[in-house]
Amino acid sequence: MSAHNHSNDIQHLYEGDQSKLYSGVMSHHTDINSSESKKQIGRIWKVFWILLAVTVVEVVLGMFFSHAMPKGLLAFFFLALTLFKAGYIVSVFMHLGDEVKSFMITVLIPLTLFVWFIIAFLMDGGFWLHMNNWSGLK
Amino acid sequence: MAQASATTAETKVWGGGRSPFNVSYGKMMMWFFLLTDAFTFGAFLISYGTTRFFSTVWPDPNQVFHAFPFMGHANLPLLFVSLMTFILIMSSVTMVLAVHAGHYGDRQGVIKWLLWTIIGGICFLSCQAWEWTHLHHQGAWWGSFTDSTAPLSSIEHFFNMKNPDVVAALPAGGMQATHDFYNYFFTITGFHGGHVASGVVLLIMVLINTINGVYDRRGHYEMVEKIGLYWHFVDLVWVFVFTCFYLL
Repeated sequence: MSAHNHSNDIQHLYEGDQSKLYSGVMSHHTDINSSESKKQIGRIWKVFWILLAVTVVEVVLGMFFSHAMPKGLLAFFFLALTLFKAGYIVSVFMHLGDEVKSFMITVLIPLTLFVWFIIAFLMDGGFWLHMNNWSGLK
Repeated sequence: MAQASATTAETKVWGGGRSPFNVSYGKMMMWFFLLTDAFTFGAFLISYGTTRFFSTVWPDPNQVFHAFPFMGHANLPLLFVSLMTFILIMSSVTMVLAVHAGHYGDRQGVIKWLLWTIIGGICFLSCQAWEWTHLHHQGAWWGSFTDSTAPLSSIEHFFNMKNPDVVAALPAGGMQATHDFYNYFFTITGFHGGHVASGVVLLIMVLINTINGVYDRRGHYEMVEKIGLYWHFVDLVWVFVFTCFYLL
């Protein structure tokens, strides 16, 4: 394709080789049995137990308390627990917490648009229900 | 770590040879792809929420999702979907352990954990296939429940009939709500299941490359990291689907 690529050894041209420039947790290590490695593995399992416990709490809430609690309060609990779980998955499992701060911000800022999306569209739905009930149309 | 890169930044900002975000191009693009995918899933779930907000009545997840394979008519609300959630969380753990083994260049570790992740993904897809089949046997599919003159007995087992408000609203809005609920359910869980299925295919490709030593020759396991990001994102989406469809 390109006249510049004379070399047949494409391994050296692979863009992912930039990963050799990483620093920190994401960089290359050698000993999987080192104490640093074991600490990382311990952190991964700790997050697993947290996620499992939160899911159990959610299911128990859903099974036994979904008709006994006010709907708004229940929704608040579910959404708070969901965001709590999402935070752990993104920051530890996806290693976003181990990335450079500027990259973290670059990924997270566009997501704040969801705040407006949710408010706007749910209010729209609520307004339609109000209008339908008010005008007698079902 | 942050301090070390800051020092480097001062000395040679324009000199090249360093990655400003400390990530490679490919990994950054995977993050941006996932960002766009998050908006797609977000749009689906928010439109589901809008429809739900303008409906007078809505199917009750405890009534809809109460079956378990080989348990006949036993009433076990949310138990099966909890199992599915557990499988996906577990496969996320094995995935991050594969990524970790990759950081340490441990080929045997990567192979072992990728295999477990693939098994987890296949288990999840099998569970979803069972659930879809079960709901299909109850008459649910895309575009089902459109006949507003059909008897209420065809839909009332999806609703919480102990609530007098629900019983009162059912004749007028029940059929429409059931129709909407299942259209969203099959579209969103289907779109998610499609992500899981393509994730399993990608994982198998990465596993074959790992076994063939491609990443050892390349000198790093970044491809495992990239597919790992995708897999965790799919798990992340499930966390939200689980809340929206099965809990709320």
